[in-house]
Amino acid sequence: MWEQIRANQIRSVILVVAMGALLILIGYFIGVALLDSAIAGLIITLVIWLVMSLIAFFRGDSIFLALSRARKIKRDDHPRLYNIVEEMKIASGLEKMPDIYIIDDPALNAFATGRSPERASVAVTSGLLQKLNRDELQGVIAHEIAHVKNRDVLLMSMCGVLLGTIVILAFFATRMLFFGAIFGGRRSSSAGGGQAQLIILAIGIAFMILAPIFAYLIYFAISRKREYLADATSALYTRYPEGLASALEKLGGSKAELKSANKATAPMYIINPFRKKGRAAADLTSTHPPISERVRILRSMAGGAAFADYENAYRQVHKGGKGVISPAAVASVGAVGLRAAEPEAAPREPEPSKVERTREVSDLMWKLNDYKTINCACGTKLKVPPKFKSGQVKCPHCGRIHSV
Amino acid sequence: MPIVGWIIIGVVVVLVIILFATYNSLVRLRNQAKNAWAQIDVQLKRRHDLIPNLVETVRGYMKHERETLEAVTNARNMAQKAVGGGVGAQSKAEGELSGALSKLLAVVENYPDLKANQNFLALQEELTSTENKISFSRQFYNDSVLKYNNKTQMFPSNVVAGMTGFKASEFFEVEVAAEREAPKVSFS
Amino acid sequence: MRCPACGNLMIVVEHENIELDYCVNCSGVWFDAGELELFLETMELEGTSLSLDDILTSPEAESAEKKRKCPICGGKMKKATVGHEPEVLIDACPRGDGLWFDSGEVGQLITQLPEKSDSQGRVITFLGEVFTARD
Repeated sequence: MWEQIRANQIRSVILVVAMGALLILIGYFIGVALLDSAIAGLIITLVIWLVMSLIAFFRGDSIFLALSRARKIKRDDHPRLYNIVEEMKIASGLEKMPDIYIIDDPALNAFATGRSPERASVAVTSGLLQKLNRDELQGVIAHEIAHVKNRDVLLMSMCGVLLGTIVILAFFATRMLFFGAIFGGRRSSSAGGGQAQLIILAIGIAFMILAPIFAYLIYFAISRKREYLADATSALYTRYPEGLASALEKLGGSKAELKSANKATAPMYIINPFRKKGRAAADLTSTHPPISERVRILRSMAGGAAFADYENAYRQVHKGGKGVISPAAVASVGAVGLRAAEPEAAPREPEPSKVERTREVSDLMWKLNDYKTINCACGTKLKVPPKFKSGQVKCPHCGRIHSV
Repeated sequence: MPIVGWIIIGVVVVLVIILFATYNSLVRLRNQAKNAWAQIDVQLKRRHDLIPNLVETVRGYMKHERETLEAVTNARNMAQKAVGGGVGAQSKAEGELSGALSKLLAVVENYPDLKANQNFLALQEELTSTENKISFSRQFYNDSVLKYNNKTQMFPSNVVAGMTGFKASEFFEVEVAAEREAPKVSFS
Repeated sequence: MRCPACGNLMIVVEHENIELDYCVNCSGVWFDAGELELFLETMELEGTSLSLDDILTSPEAESAEKKRKCPICGGKMKKATVGHEPEVLIDACPRGDGLWFDSGEVGQLITQLPEKSDSQGRVITFLGEVFTARD
């Protein structure tokens, strides 16, 4: 397992090291410019980074799940979702069944969290459960489990902390330097020393302004790379890239925006929860590759479901050039065929229709929110909120009175 | 000690570390394949357990499908007997069970009442998912075996494998014909 | 969810697999965008004239009626007209969260004889069907 993940992550690790170097440089400049001691600046920086890292490492998943208002569900709440997660758990060789959460939101999105494969959770929105069929849902869950297996969750939350620390420090440092330069007295008495200090100050301010931008770009680059890898891994697990491709298409076509997402949590989702119209295809400032491109790559996987096939498809879509998956990772997976197309006569499980799926999911949400369901004899169902005051309710369809 | 001595000690230490690491990864891969194999058995057993329930639920609706139902029950009993009887026998029996099941599920199309039965729908979801789980665990088993076999056969890990007695494992070959064959529904 | 007209807790009424939010106090009805889409899909009338988009892009109807707040997003809803002879003024969330029918509006709409073929007609017929025993 580690061989594969290490091979995949070498390029990511280089980028993370670059971010770390940015952080250290910031600490150094803060020390020199504000505290007259490089060591003090470095220590302060590292302490802030360490505290944030520890919080992210130990409490990150629960904070994130709480922020997105996700509700944990059990097997009986939604057997199909549970089964699909279990199928992907088996396909990926994950040892422990991840916890499953639902976010009550009509937007279509999903994410995985948890610092290690032993402590993983996947969350999907109720909109996703309603709109996707079984194969599509399987592709999305496989993508999320791939993030867990590839340790992306840990990698991205650690990168997020690095980024956050850099942004916060640079924000305060530039302001302090700026106002310090205007209002503060000269610290050095000799004229020559003052000039040298001024140059350092200027470099420092320029660096403080640029560092967060660089950090963002690096962070986005890492995130996009991990998305491609997770797509490739999803195809490998399901042996059916079309499932994820068609799911991504539906996700991209949906207009609803996720209410509970924010900038910091964006890379965790399967598609960017914020979207602007007319975004350029290879935008450097996006956490996710454009959906249309991801779909095209998946659909170009003609020969099989191995990493090598994804790599070829990627090159085909990008007209040559560098690939996206490291050669070591490609080599670690042998040739893998695609799932045989279902023979016409084979009875697939009759899929519940979209209406049935919608009612299934909304009933689950009512149940999780403690609504009481009254089945009126006329066939109408009344769903009453837990705080409903009146003890009686009249069926608006047939006029029967029900006690709550 | 002369510098050459230190170098020799260093090289030996590195070699020993590599040896242990390789040995450990061989053990891990072998265990992974073993666990994957166990997972297949878990899922096959789950399928065996589901079938009596399914037959019981369906029986009330399907008055004219005695033979189809009996075929499923028989195939299930045969498959249960084949457990532990070697990979070949087991996969043959399971293949026949899959065939009998898909015939049954094809016939369901003729019974709209049954298709509306909540209990039946739940069972069907379980059964479909169990079939998926069987094929995914087989897939993972074969992937694991491939990695393990590569490790036992490729240089330099094959040296360690040879010294410590790791041998290549067998793949779980599916009898594609039996498994994937479309059921022939006849209305004669 | 709270009723945008009187602030009471609303109940959910599911009829033929479509959910409507209904206020037992003032008899107003909220038709959520997702449910509306689902309803039109089951009628195989996707993209016809009462899709939310249409109502949203139509110019705001002139009215002295009080502006209501969307129960989903809290934004001010705009007035829009549906039905024929007389046209009935309803509220629509400009973000596309759904449609609000005041009690009287439901009453006016369901006494009309809608042309069954178009989606407005279907929605009106459906509302009438569900709320046959409303006060």
